[in-house]
Amino acid sequence: MSTSATTFVPDQGTADHDHGHHGPQGFFFTYIWSVDHKMIGLQYLWTSFFFLLLGGLLAMGIRFQLAYPGTEVPLIGMLLPSTVASDGIILPGGYNMLFTMHATVMVFLVVMPLLIGGFGNFLIPLKIGAGDMAFPTLNAMSYWLYVLSGLIILASFFVDGGAASSGWTAYAPLSSTAAYNNNTQIGQSLWCIGLFVNGLSSIAGATNYITTIVNMRAPGMTMFRLPLSVWSLFITSWLLILAVPVLSAAAAMLFTDLNFGTTFFNAQQGQPLLWQHLFWFFGHPEVYIMILPAMGLVSEILPVFARKPIFGYKAMVWAMVAIGFLGFIVWGHHMFVSGMNLTLGAMFSVSTMVIAVPSAIKTFNWMGTVWRGSISFTTPMLFALAFVSMFVIGGLSGIFMASTPVDLFVHNSYFIVAHIHYVLFGGSLFGAFAAIYFWYPKMFGRMMNETLGKIHFFATFVFFNLTFFPMHNLGLGGMMRRIADPTLYDHLRALQPLNVFVTWAAFGMGLATFIFLYNFIWSLRHGKKAGNNPWDSTTLEWTVPSPPGHGNFEKTPTVYNGPYEYSVPGMAKDFLPQDEKAPDGARLAAH
Amino acid sequence: MSTATLAAHDETHVPPRTAIFGMTIFLASEAMLFAGLIGGYIVLRLSSAAWPPDPTSPHLPVVLTGINTVFLISSSFTYHAAEVAVKKGKSGLGWLFLTLLLGGTFLGIQAYEWTHLYHEGLWFNKGGAFGSSFFVLTGFHGLHVAMGVLMILVAFFRQLGGAYTAQNHTYLILTGMYWHFVDVVWVFLFTVLYLI
Amino acid sequence: MMKNFSTKLLCVGVLLLLAGAPEVMAAVRDTNLYWAPEAVTVTGKRIDVLLNFIFYLTGAVFVLTQAVYIYYLVKYRKRPGSKAHYSHGNNKLEIIWTAIPTAIFIGLVIYSNRLWGEIHSAPPENSVKVDVVSYQFGWDMRYPGADGKLGKIDVNTYSVDNKFGLVPDDPAGDDDFASTELVIPVGQPVHLYLHSRDVIHSVYVPAFRLYQAAVPGRTIAWVWFETTKTGDFQLACSQICGSGHYNMKAPIRVVTQEEFDKWQAGKIAAKAQEAKAAAAARETRQSTAALDPATGSARNSAGEKL
Ligand code: HEA
Ligand code: HEA
Ligand code: CUA
Ligand SMILES: [Cu+2]
Repeated sequence: MSTSATTFVPDQGTADHDHGHHGPQGFFFTYIWSVDHKMIGLQYLWTSFFFLLLGGLLAMGIRFQLAYPGTEVPLIGMLLPSTVASDGIILPGGYNMLFTMHATVMVFLVVMPLLIGGFGNFLIPLKIGAGDMAFPTLNAMSYWLYVLSGLIILASFFVDGGAASSGWTAYAPLSSTAAYNNNTQIGQSLWCIGLFVNGLSSIAGATNYITTIVNMRAPGMTMFRLPLSVWSLFITSWLLILAVPVLSAAAAMLFTDLNFGTTFFNAQQGQPLLWQHLFWFFGHPEVYIMILPAMGLVSEILPVFARKPIFGYKAMVWAMVAIGFLGFIVWGHHMFVSGMNLTLGAMFSVSTMVIAVPSAIKTFNWMGTVWRGSISFTTPMLFALAFVSMFVIGGLSGIFMASTPVDLFVHNSYFIVAHIHYVLFGGSLFGAFAAIYFWYPKMFGRMMNETLGKIHFFATFVFFNLTFFPMHNLGLGGMMRRIADPTLYDHLRALQPLNVFVTWAAFGMGLATFIFLYNFIWSLRHGKKAGNNPWDSTTLEWTVPSPPGHGNFEKTPTVYNGPYEYSVPGMAKDFLPQDEKAPDGARLAAH
Repeated sequence: MSTATLAAHDETHVPPRTAIFGMTIFLASEAMLFAGLIGGYIVLRLSSAAWPPDPTSPHLPVVLTGINTVFLISSSFTYHAAEVAVKKGKSGLGWLFLTLLLGGTFLGIQAYEWTHLYHEGLWFNKGGAFGSSFFVLTGFHGLHVAMGVLMILVAFFRQLGGAYTAQNHTYLILTGMYWHFVDVVWVFLFTVLYLI
Repeated sequence: MMKNFSTKLLCVGVLLLLAGAPEVMAAVRDTNLYWAPEAVTVTGKRIDVLLNFIFYLTGAVFVLTQAVYIYYLVKYRKRPGSKAHYSHGNNKLEIIWTAIPTAIFIGLVIYSNRLWGEIHSAPPENSVKVDVVSYQFGWDMRYPGADGKLGKIDVNTYSVDNKFGLVPDDPAGDDDFASTELVIPVGQPVHLYLHSRDVIHSVYVPAFRLYQAAVPGRTIAWVWFETTKTGDFQLACSQICGSGHYNMKAPIRVVTQEEFDKWQAGKIAAKAQEAKAAAAARETRQSTAALDPATGSARNSAGEKL
């Protein structure tokens, strides 16, 4: 990784406007087939918002059914496809579609595109001082492949037999034999194709990010001067490159099992557990793919509002590298009780505990960052601070499950569902919200409304915890995940009031999302005008106008400092931009 | 704007070094795709009591495919020769044509082998895990070869118009990387599917 | 002044939490609501010890980290004239907070895996053996007959007529009897053989602290446990297995040894009756058809030894 400033390639269309990245102009090329990384980032953002609403709506369906099984869904019941509901009442098979598609949408069409596609595209070139991505066309292609995958997955609701309904983990042979699963052959096949196409999109994006980060850094921007968000996206990209193709391979096999009569995963001639191994070989790195960018973005926001350098920059980087490597050898913790060899399970338990260590390091460094800071509680800061706490809760519940005997009890219960949402919503999405409030001014030139932002934060924070914390108790009480009607079980009837409570809390969280959307759209026209650097931040994207123009930088910047020089002693202002030479008297310390 | 012109747009503005770097990353992910497929195959094979699981499955034509393998590997050399020629300022069209011919022959023999096996009773849905993995693995690889042939075809026609010079032939380099990669994958596939 | 007050407040809060947690937990546990149901197996009780250990460990980590965190947030909030301390970190601290969690995790994983090994140690010889065959969407249980032996099965021969996949030429299987509920004697080791006829299912009994997937095409033979209390429970499938998954359950009755013996004797007698009738039927059939090719081929298939 020693590609340093000296190998900077000037051919980036930054200053040389005669052959720069001036794609063709006009509406189509500006908003639709744009090759500008900023526009592509925004396209990702908007599209993922759409899918967030869809995934959220599916979650509301899940919650309604769990609180009031066998009741007609109000308002939209009659509009639901016949495979999901009949007479407005959700069918058990339809319920399976709801959570399968909820998770598929949230994971592949919301969190990944939002954090990686949206912020990755928007921020990487700006933060490393480049004019655009290394391969702008590939970038546009990546976005449109994502849209295509979304459409394929959407379409599956309306085909014969309905959408995939074997869970987002699609365990074979339920998924691979249509006759076992209500003949959802087309839906499950579309699921495979959708994920394959989505994978192509991810791989194209990741190729681009790695190439850009390695080859197009501005002079002086050494690897260890990279902002942590760029580091996190760099490592995430490697995980994508190495993990996603394995899902593609598995999805292809599942597809041929469904459609060409191959027998990869069937019980008689194949290996049902082979699917699980392939899926989780991808699936575990995938969960870090979803959390690492959020960690990076939060690591960027905490120093700004604590006015302090990030604590332990290098430890943060190495912790992420360690998570990246170790992430490939822990997949079996999803399979402790799957029928996998028991000793193998014990070994995966060891590696899983080991991988919690770098997460611990990160947590303590975040705490070290706010220690002796001068903290202002803006909306982005609130989300970033909450991210840390929610991630700790989610991580600690992971420790229960990593302990093999305890997993014997909590596996496939709502304890897992609680874990999932603490790390993915409390983690990834809180991180994404923090990032949206923080970079909104750079994206649109205006600030988001602080009051609405704070209302959104507190509502989300409170309702989030009211929704998902009780799920730990539901799980310990013995509530299985993926069941359409808990009231059918003796030991769950006593828990039903808790289910109703959770559902209403989830509705509250859903409504809170509208505050956010309203704020987002309202601020586009009415937000306070933001200058270049509304947060007094140090990284390169804040040195250019908001929003930045074509080619980003008037002239390629030169970098002199690390990314987090806040409150440097001996300086008049309390931050030192990366492209400014330290003034005389400033007492910089090495990190 | 068509994809081709877009590609051209990219190509003229991305420094070769960067493009080669990007291609390497992409090939790493391609390698993982095949690792997933081959890994699945190995698991199935090791966990099967006998291989092929159905003793009546036809034998794979090792000799024919061995010859085919030689064709594919030679095509890597002819492609390399084309690149060397272009670097020296020549057209390299002959070598490119030869590469196309070898690649096409490989695909043709594969297609023949598929139909042959089909008639002998081995297919996606016949012969259990053996048929499944054989056809999916060689199918995936075949698609990659076809893709490579298409890319070389594009190079060939562009070079008819003299598109590549000794200094500027990034597309040729990238296509070459891809082509050699597909070759190496085949060596692995041939080994695990036919030889052991 | 302000600083003092907030420190005190926090300390009191933390103490209250630490002091209150066990009480609350105990109260909640008594009602069995919102905490795990009482564990009624020997291993289940040991799992609970580990579960509680992790609960207090992670609880302490949570309370401590959050207390410190919130304390910092209050104490170091921006005030007029406040300035942040300029520091890039501290290597000694990094080492400490890498080493301590590592040590804790090593301890935890040793503890966990030792218990894991014990839970899955070889089942005692005298265990009550039950073959549990799952299907969409229910279970068939098979108990050994008077010979105390389960007949051999072949996981590839499940059919409507042979719902346990019995290998016909193993006489041990002839007297095995079927049941749709899982009846087990309290205080006795029970050894389950898990099978599936179609997709992956699982047996999940929260009060037993027991989960294990049943994989089609395989026998899972490592599940055994010993109950400590009689009572009625439910066996639930907790692995998504299709549109009927939500309602795939079977009754479990943990009964005294006497009750179990009685139940078993009744089942064995009924089975003998049934077998006699079947034998008679077979005789009449054999006199009409010399050899049935279908059963003839089934005999050849390799039986899987349980
Ligand atoms: C962003 C996503 C994300 C993240 C980051 C994690 C992080 C972790 N996960 Fe999670 N996990 C999921 C997403 C995620 N997970 C999902 C989606 C599933 C379910 C999939 C499905 O079945 O549908 C799942 C399932 C899952 C299982 C399978 C459970 C089962 O099915 O039975 C396990 C088991 O080990 C596990 C463990 C862990 C661990 C140990 C971590 C660790 O990385 C956490 C480390 C963090 C901490 C520990 C907190 C901070 C540390 C400290 C404050 C230091 C001190 C702590 C101590 C000394 C205890 N996870
Ligand atoms: C990033 C990932 C992510 C996110 C953000 C969420 C968000 C939510 N999830 Fe989900 N979830 C998963 C990932 C995620 N989930 C995964 C991986 C699974 C496992 C699936 C499986 O088992 O296969 C799962 C499963 C899962 C279950 C378990 C289902 C089961 O096992 O039977 C439940 C149940 O409550 C649930 C609920 C919710 C809720 C209430 C939200 C809310 O936070 C959603 C909030 C967002 C909105 C609400 C959007 C805006 C609102 C609207 C557009 C609707 C407005 C209408 C009203 C207010 C009525 N999720
Ligand atoms: Cu059987 Cu779920
Ligand atoms: Cu995992």
